Amino acid sequence: MPLAYALPSNLSPATVANTSSLLRIIALSLISGAAIASRLFAVINFESIIHEFDPWFNYRATRVLAEKGFYEFWNWFDPTAWYPLGRVVGGTIYPGLMATSGVIYNVLHALHLPVDIRNICVLLAPGFSALTAWSTYMFTKEMKDESAGLLAAAFIGIAPGYISRSVAGSYDNEAIAIFLLMFTFYCWIKALKTGSAFFGTLTALFYFYMVAAWGGYAFITNMIPLHALTLILMGRFSSRLYVAYSSWYAIGTLASMQVPFVGFQPVRTSEHMAALGVFGLLQIVAFAELVRTHVSSKHFQSILYGSVIVIGVLGALAFAGLTYKGWIAPWTGRFYSLWDTGYAKKYIPIIASVSEHQPTAWPSFFMDLQFLIFIFPAGVVLCFRELRDEHVFVIIYAVVASYFAGVMVRLMLTLTPVVCVAAAVAFSSLLDTYVDPVEPNVSNGAAPSAEADAAADSPASIPSTGSGATPTAPSKKAKKAVSADSSSSGLASGIVAAISPSGKGDKPRGIFGLDTRALVLVNALGMLLFFVLHCTYVTSSAYSSPSVVLASTNPDGSQHIIDDFREAYYWLRQNTPKDAVVMSWWDYGYQIAGMADRPTLVDNNTWNNTHIATVGKAMSSSEEVAYPILRKHDVDYVLVIFGGLIGYSGDDINKFLWMVRIAQGVWPDEIQEPNYFTPKGEYRIDDAAPPAMKNSLMYKMSYYRFADLFGGNQAVDRVRGQQVPKQGPTLDHLDEAFTSENWIVRIYQVKKEDPLGRDLKSANAFEQGKKRKKTKPLVRRKAVV
Amino acid sequence: MPRHWRAPLSLLFSLFVLPICTSAANSFENTAIVRTVELGGALVHVTTTYAVKALEDGSSVYTLALGEQEHARTSWLEAKLKGQPGLLPLGDFGYHPESGVFLYTVDLPKALDTNGTANLVVETVLTHATYPWPREAAQKDPQSLKYSTDLFVISPYKTAVQRTKIRSPTPTVHSYTDPEDIEFTTDSVVTKSGATITYGPFYDIPPSATQDFVDAKQKQITIHYDYEFPIVEITKLERTAEISHWGANLNIENKIDLHNAGPRLKGHFSRLEHQTQSYFGRTSAHILPGMNLMLPPGIHSAYYVDQIGNVSTSHLRTVPSVPKGSNANSYSLLELRPRYPVLGGWNYSFTLGWDSPLEDYAGYDSATGKYVVGIPLLTPMPTAVVDEAEIKIILPEGATDIDYFPPYPALSESITKHITYLDTIGRPQITLKYRDLTDKHTGNIYVTYKVPFRAHLQKPLAVATAFIGVFIVALAWKRVDIRIRRK
Repeated sequence: MPLAYALPSNLSPATVANTSSLLRIIALSLISGAAIASRLFAVINFESIIHEFDPWFNYRATRVLAEKGFYEFWNWFDPTAWYPLGRVVGGTIYPGLMATSGVIYNVLHALHLPVDIRNICVLLAPGFSALTAWSTYMFTKEMKDESAGLLAAAFIGIAPGYISRSVAGSYDNEAIAIFLLMFTFYCWIKALKTGSAFFGTLTALFYFYMVAAWGGYAFITNMIPLHALTLILMGRFSSRLYVAYSSWYAIGTLASMQVPFVGFQPVRTSEHMAALGVFGLLQIVAFAELVRTHVSSKHFQSILYGSVIVIGVLGALAFAGLTYKGWIAPWTGRFYSLWDTGYAKKYIPIIASVSEHQPTAWPSFFMDLQFLIFIFPAGVVLCFRELRDEHVFVIIYAVVASYFAGVMVRLMLTLTPVVCVAAAVAFSSLLDTYVDPVEPNVSNGAAPSAEADAAADSPASIPSTGSGATPTAPSKKAKKAVSADSSSSGLASGIVAAISPSGKGDKPRGIFGLDTRALVLVNALGMLLFFVLHCTYVTSSAYSSPSVVLASTNPDGSQHIIDDFREAYYWLRQNTPKDAVVMSWWDYGYQIAGMADRPTLVDNNTWNNTHIATVGKAMSSSEEVAYPILRKHDVDYVLVIFGGLIGYSGDDINKFLWMVRIAQGVWPDEIQEPNYFTPKGEYRIDDAAPPAMKNSLMYKMSYYRFADLFGGNQAVDRVRGQQVPKQGPTLDHLDEAFTSENWIVRIYQVKKEDPLGRDLKSANAFEQGKKRKKTKPLVRRKAVV
Repeated sequence: MPRHWRAPLSLLFSLFVLPICTSAANSFENTAIVRTVELGGALVHVTTTYAVKALEDGSSVYTLALGEQEHARTSWLEAKLKGQPGLLPLGDFGYHPESGVFLYTVDLPKALDTNGTANLVVETVLTHATYPWPREAAQKDPQSLKYSTDLFVISPYKTAVQRTKIRSPTPTVHSYTDPEDIEFTTDSVVTKSGATITYGPFYDIPPSATQDFVDAKQKQITIHYDYEFPIVEITKLERTAEISHWGANLNIENKIDLHNAGPRLKGHFSRLEHQTQSYFGRTSAHILPGMNLMLPPGIHSAYYVDQIGNVSTSHLRTVPSVPKGSNANSYSLLELRPRYPVLGGWNYSFTLGWDSPLEDYAGYDSATGKYVVGIPLLTPMPTAVVDEAEIKIILPEGATDIDYFPPYPALSESITKHITYLDTIGRPQITLKYRDLTDKHTGNIYVTYKVPFRAHLQKPLAVATAFIGVFIVALAWKRVDIRIRRK
């Protein structure tokens, strides 16, 4: 049998096994190192800081956990959030993330490594990404072999789709959830393969951890039943499936109910019903199997038909009845928006106002996954070739995740692992085929008929000893290289099968010589290389900005930090009373609580739509209307974000329409969105702005004294690109208290009622020495006397 | 209040000296006293020159008296002979209830014979002696302060002539007291020329460190003057110096609570006005946009952070370290800018730290086998007062025979245990507490200690043991088969 290149033949199998094992360990460590290192751009370019919005709450909660202990955290009632309502934090969060950090913190401190809790929080996501790489390796190993596993680990380690949610400082639930997702799936596959209750229980435990960590656990709750159901429908019911599923469902559901935020949802909401239904179905099928072993097949047929119909009808009726009675909650709005992308915009503007709930733009698939996205279908196709139980899982996962990733940007995160797995399977098949030195035997012209049959099945398989088409057990790469009778049922064969359907056995097929191999392999390595470059570029430029700190460039090319947010928050923290209530749009609630340490009206935990609408109403109505709202809520300071001076586009004027919409949802009589547009339907802030816009508190606070800054020149808003009226708005009920260096954050103090009982507008006019209008009779003053 | 003297060594000594210096007030006579007050913001420097004549042979202990208000404000007191660099030893005799004054003794270098004279220069630094007036100022307003003090310098001895000069930092003096019914003078009590206001001369004042004199003759004078710099007050300073022998590093970290003690801001802060002011270079006196700090030479890895992270608005210019013992006056300059301009009444707290090579501060005394480390008590912040200071010195793990010599006696001192990275038994930590420190309070805290060779090895041994433990567990885990059934 000819070889394309020589292989060492004097190696003992033990040496090969040990060497490959060592190489795998080294490769995995390097992959972990790369995964961690590529997430540190944010720390190196900026500093060790918590990013974005939600992580600030998680960080704050973790600090409570680290400082006061677990029970204090569990019972934590936070009176400063949702003022004056407060928030029961312990019962309204997924505590897995904080508990993880707390455990790490306590372990490190017990080892006399007094690492700051902030650094633990910042570096938790990179650390867990290394674990994700490892669990993806384990998962993919079950699909194909170790070499595919290593490739998958490398892919998930640096794929921007996952990095986007797990850079250092992005201290959010997703940071640990993807590891848990992959490891739960791995345990599930393992349990299904071995039929082991131990692995089923392990699946349940990691499922519990996942439930405690991320709301996205519903994905597992539905993926596993879907897989089980598909297997049953394919006629692949087995006792292994029964054991794996039952042990997972029973223990996992009970465990998940221990999380207070989840509570009885697993038995009362529609999202969890699939798991329950499949559990019931499995029992029935198992019972049917049992019955079949005891009765004759004819009897069994009729029993089966009858019982399936009866049970199906009963189950559906029971489900409908329970939903109707309110025992089972119907689908939530967030869930509906997964099927109808326009749903949220119509009915729940607060969900639609979050940018990560928008449908995905097509380019972002390429940006987040680069060449993986077009290798991915090939990997899924390859799964069909063998179609073991676990391959069915990957196929289902791929289909479901692809759909969800298209619907919602943030669900790109759940798609990324399966893309990495499938792409790794495909890519590793390609490499296997072309690295394999075995060449087709040209001299052996007359192939045996058995081999011809095999060749017809998979035309590119090497007609060597006839074992090419049978699925071999996953073997180690090194071993494969030495063994002469390896299967090369790879990607190449699939492609060849597609382009040459007439697989005649007259000519030996395969890869000849080194040049062909080199061509393909160099091309493949080039793709990998560009993938690395792409990932590094995307990570460093797009995903590593803390968004609390903005970076710009000085004329000389050096980095200039715009730190207005922290400037203003720190001012609040240091120079206002500890109990001063700050009102702002909900986006900044967590940051104010975390950095300024002041009570806020609304924050990013958007559980009370009315409260948010109240803030929206205060922001979008005139001073006279807003002032009583502010006073009734004890608001001391109002904070707005204004990017008009330096062109920061994520400011409150650009979010203003959402405030109007949300307020309109609750007070349709008082706030109407069309009033904030010009008659032509334009959104303007210049002279042509409609009166509702110009009188709104938000507009006034944003542009208060803005035109004065330009010293007589025409003031221009650099975000909207419009000219700001020379005569700026005046404020009677609020005082400008602080404005940050680049005017991004503006803080206003709410005036107290006038001590003389005048309304603030006339009091203000009096202060400025303006005459009262003569037409106004002095009735009020007389009444006082 | 730390001062530059030692407390009396024994009660016996104090019982012996006290009657002499109070009752026998006739051992000296002041031929002239000139007090010069340099007005400032948080700190006021007072230099008093006593021209002393001895009335008895062998008079060597001169007694100073400070009024109650003066004493409460004094944070620094030193005495020397005019024209000579050496400081004279001071003794604190505390409050003397009969006369209502605080007494200090100065030991003259050699005893004076009758009619022998000496010129004694006493320098004091007062803190919290001024207050802003008006109490509130708008962002554009200027800043002016008031300072009040006693008219007469009190002394247990007779004084032939004395005068008080008060120098304002600017010629703009809004007002000053013109006391009436003053006995010891014939001319006008007060004259003003430029920025200097002179009270006196007053002639033939009897021993004035008595309750009677203070009640009957003493007057308060008040100066209202313009001050063009922000008044920096550090309400709390936590300074930690950590010595590492393995890293050959001295880490110094200052946690600083800064407060602008100028007039409280009236109304609100307007960024527009601030930007206009800074554009035209006319920032109001009470706004503190930043300050320059002189850090030691040779430092590296400096950090300037506050509770919510790094503050990116600062520049550090480092210089290489200078050889020990040289008098080269080089320092690293830190241009420190708070996140926001600190206006009157505002606070800003931050942490400032750096690493320096340990060899710049430490030495080894082979005679005693001890290490000697000199740690600067403070990083000087010009014109600032530190209200409360807590200074911690963390020695290497396993240090024994610890002695420390602070330049000024601390209010409280203790040695506790501090546990940090990879420690097994913890490190000794010296804690010293002070109040009312000024930029005069330089000097080093000298710490001597021994570190046995075993203690040096403790850390690598502990780490090595931990790792070996992990490997052994891993080894056992791989080798031991816990399955019930063979595969």
